[in-house]
Amino acid sequence: MTHVGVPSTYAAVAEALAVLVLLSEFAMLRAPLSRSQVHLYSFQSLVVTGLAAFVAADRHVPGLYAIAGISLVLKVVVIPAIVLRLLRDARVELVPSHRLGVASMVLLALAAAVFGLFVVGSMKVHSTSLPTPALALATAAVLVSFLLVILRSDVVSQAVGFFSLENGVSVASLVVAAGLPLIVEVAFFFDLLVAVVVFGVLMRVHHARTQTLSTTVLDRLRG
Amino acid sequence: MLGGPQLDPIVIQALQVLTIVVFAPFVSGAISHLEARLQGRRGPRILQPYYDLAKLFRKETLLPTDAGWVFVLGPVVAFVCYLTVPLLIPVLTTYPLPLGYMGDILGGGFILALGGFSVALAAAETDAPYAQLGSSRAMTFGGLIEPSILFITFTVALVTTTDLPYFEAAAARASTADALRPAHLLAALAFFLVVLNDTGRIPVETHSGTLEFGMIDEGRTLEHSGPLLALLTWGSAMKQLVLYVILINVFSAPWGLAGSRELGNVLVAVPIFLGKALGVGAIFAVIDNSFSKLRLFKITEFMAGAFLLAVLAVLVLFVGGG
Amino acid sequence: MGWDLVLLMVVPAVAGVACWWAPVSVGRAIGLTSGVLTFVLAVLLVPSGHAEALGSWLRVDPLSVVFLVAIGFLYPLTMAFAVGYLHPAGDPDAVARYHRRVLAGLNLFCWAMVVAPLMNSLALLWVAIEVTTVISALLVAVDDTPGATEAAWKYVLIASMGLGIALFATIVVYYAGSTVLGNGYELFIPQLLAHARHFPSQAVRLAFVLAVLGFGTKVGFVPVHTWLPDAHSEAPTPVSALLSGALLAMSFYAVLRYFQVAVRTLGGTFPRDVLLAFGIASLVLAALSLSAQRDLKRLLAYSSIEHMGILAIGMSFAAPIAVAGVLLQVLAHAAAKGTAFFGAGSIVRRFGTKDMARIRGGIAALPWSGPLFVLAILGLSAMPPFGIFRSEFQIVEGGLSDPQDAVVAVLVVLVVLAFAGLSWFSTRTMFSPSSGQTAVARGEPSAWIVGAMAVGIVALAVLGVHPPGQLSQLLSRAASELGAPR
Repeated sequence: MTHVGVPSTYAAVAEALAVLVLLSEFAMLRAPLSRSQVHLYSFQSLVVTGLAAFVAADRHVPGLYAIAGISLVLKVVVIPAIVLRLLRDARVELVPSHRLGVASMVLLALAAAVFGLFVVGSMKVHSTSLPTPALALATAAVLVSFLLVILRSDVVSQAVGFFSLENGVSVASLVVAAGLPLIVEVAFFFDLLVAVVVFGVLMRVHHARTQTLSTTVLDRLRG
Repeated sequence: MLGGPQLDPIVIQALQVLTIVVFAPFVSGAISHLEARLQGRRGPRILQPYYDLAKLFRKETLLPTDAGWVFVLGPVVAFVCYLTVPLLIPVLTTYPLPLGYMGDILGGGFILALGGFSVALAAAETDAPYAQLGSSRAMTFGGLIEPSILFITFTVALVTTTDLPYFEAAAARASTADALRPAHLLAALAFFLVVLNDTGRIPVETHSGTLEFGMIDEGRTLEHSGPLLALLTWGSAMKQLVLYVILINVFSAPWGLAGSRELGNVLVAVPIFLGKALGVGAIFAVIDNSFSKLRLFKITEFMAGAFLLAVLAVLVLFVGGG
Repeated sequence: MGWDLVLLMVVPAVAGVACWWAPVSVGRAIGLTSGVLTFVLAVLLVPSGHAEALGSWLRVDPLSVVFLVAIGFLYPLTMAFAVGYLHPAGDPDAVARYHRRVLAGLNLFCWAMVVAPLMNSLALLWVAIEVTTVISALLVAVDDTPGATEAAWKYVLIASMGLGIALFATIVVYYAGSTVLGNGYELFIPQLLAHARHFPSQAVRLAFVLAVLGFGTKVGFVPVHTWLPDAHSEAPTPVSALLSGALLAMSFYAVLRYFQVAVRTLGGTFPRDVLLAFGIASLVLAALSLSAQRDLKRLLAYSSIEHMGILAIGMSFAAPIAVAGVLLQVLAHAAAKGTAFFGAGSIVRRFGTKDMARIRGGIAALPWSGPLFVLAILGLSAMPPFGIFRSEFQIVEGGLSDPQDAVVAVLVVLVVLAFAGLSWFSTRTMFSPSSGQTAVARGEPSAWIVGAMAVGIVALAVLGVHPPGQLSQLLSRAASELGAPR
């Protein structure tokens, strides 16, 4: 009875968390309600935060606690709160925005994820902080977030797609760059916050102008 | 450890089958009782399925005018299939019994599928539209869930380098890391969804409804009566329990099985197993009460979800031993 | 030491904040002053080409000075143009608010673009470029028309996704560096360049492709250019000028930084091939699209894609003269495209439309900015004696000496095709006599516009006829830092 590289408990848990990030990305892709997408994003951020704290504790990288803290405040609480507030103001519950059937979307996203997994899986990256499959999973999550932006045509999906892209990159950075200087990480967060504000402003403007959160009306500019 | 005389493996093997045969209606009854309670009804007695079976066996058999021998043979074949599968899977013991090597997970899957197929065939023998509808739907969705089952099998095969259910269970028991590895969790979750589908539960099918339009598995038995219906009902309860066995003792909680051939150990394993089965049944009952049924054409979404999990399980293994 | 860099970082920011609060006329003056000051500071850096400040978080080398000068040149010109161009109708309060917003936005936008080349850390460079996205997206949306909202949404979404990829590239390059430099280093560019030879090649390869794709989204490389024509056409014209003349180049600067690291690790072939692929794709699409436009500002936007494609192709040639040509083209493109957009703004103000089918007899209607616009278009089409002629000549020369004859042939054919499209439309709008419907009164909307355009054309001609000696030295030093043997 031989096993295919049985991971350590640490690696198994870390990978399971990375899988959870990818799965919540899939869930965002198919979630019918904008509100539940935001909740899923919040959940995903919580997993990423947990992963950061987990790495910080197990690999003794104290700087990561600060990252986890900021990420907890910003990505789990503040950003979802901003978007949810916008949704409440917009009073739109259901935005029909699937460009494809759910099953086809999931299969397409699965194909994208497979691509990401194999491309990065074939790269021999050595990491001291997290098992390398987490990098492949993060890449897959990034690719799925692209599909979320492409395949769903409403502002919330597209904005959440961007935010969760950042989550995927965060996981990737935990794998390959856990020691990233704090000032740089903080700059990233600050930037994320600014981007959120801009997304918020534009969502509001869009809703005020078109009375909808769908982006299918944005088809005037061509050529 | 509890002592007692060493049992012949053949006897234990027979005990496995007996456990399934005898307690399948009990588990079904317990679940519907719990469901009723969750809905605020008093519900049927837990032992009600036994009374139902006894009543059905006493009744006469009515055959539709155009039905041939397949109509009669179908339920019998299915029942035999469900009797065979417990030989292959770890119901009570951690170690493989002599006939356990007769078939792997795929083999077990084939036999289960053969059972489903013969029921569908029997239903198709009649002219009744609802039975035919049920059988065609059951085959369609069975085909759609098949890729997921296949990928779950691959996962098991990759983890243990065999595809014998005993070894997957052993791997999960061997270390927490193995039990927590994402491939294992994903496969277990995917299999959970497969069980939801195969036992005709919400969100795929209303388990206890009477509305024929939404029926899939249930619809197939509408034309049978008397002992044949009893066999079908009993068989479907057994199938459910068999799937629970695989879910519990292969994927999610392979603990509390008998590790030796001593009588005491084997006998204790029975109530432990029943307890776990009831636990899983309770989860299914809660799900039944918390979600709504998917529209028929949305069931593919559910299938896509199961497929996603199963494929990810294999992929995670491929990219790095996850 | 390094006070000039700190000043560069502070002045436009202060100007931006001040414009938000100050009355409009004061705001205009502040913007102009800050612009001129920035340009002077940038030019002062030209002779030495090197400076550091704030514990080497801020640092310039000849390469970044080139881009600083390009932005510093366009900054005051755009502020001058904005004075003449911004004349919204409506109630005075709303107008003042609009003015303050645009002025503050323009200053902050320039600030972000000035800060980017000052950043010594690749990570902060990414942050600066993301900040330019954020500010410019709001500026694109500021007109609050359906088109502007749509363009801004597409822009912020596509550019942010692209920068997400660029962030990935940053992290991968950090990983590549950490194998040599250990954890916790600050991604300083000299650090990376000094040790790049020992980086793992696979990771650098991935980082470079991701960076070209990610930052390339903002450069406007095909196929990730889709936001560009929309944003350029729907934004207020001063914003379009900055987007096209400075922002695209600024993002190209980030690509060049990754190029520098990549050539040291991988040798020249792989990075050049990647840039060549994107360059050819951009040039082909832009050259073909130029002849199918109806909207004047979209026409100029596609011309920007064309020029970015030429820059990428120029970088794919190993000869230093081609690289120097690329850097000269950055400067010349800033001047030419800025002037062209100013001219377009003047035309739009006069004719009240961007639709080229309804613009006729521009040269008659606009006695000064009309001819200047034609000159700017000729400059964009690489006509002598303008700067782009010289730079493209250098690129072609470099390509022939590389030798990459086939690529050069493609380049020349496509540039001619683009020239045909560009000149066809501008000739029709400017020189065909106006029919009764489209006739407008003769006269200039504003002397500020003419002034800004005249300065731009003079600069373009100077770059073409005889670039100042110190600037040429700067360009060749930057080129030698960038270049690597094939």
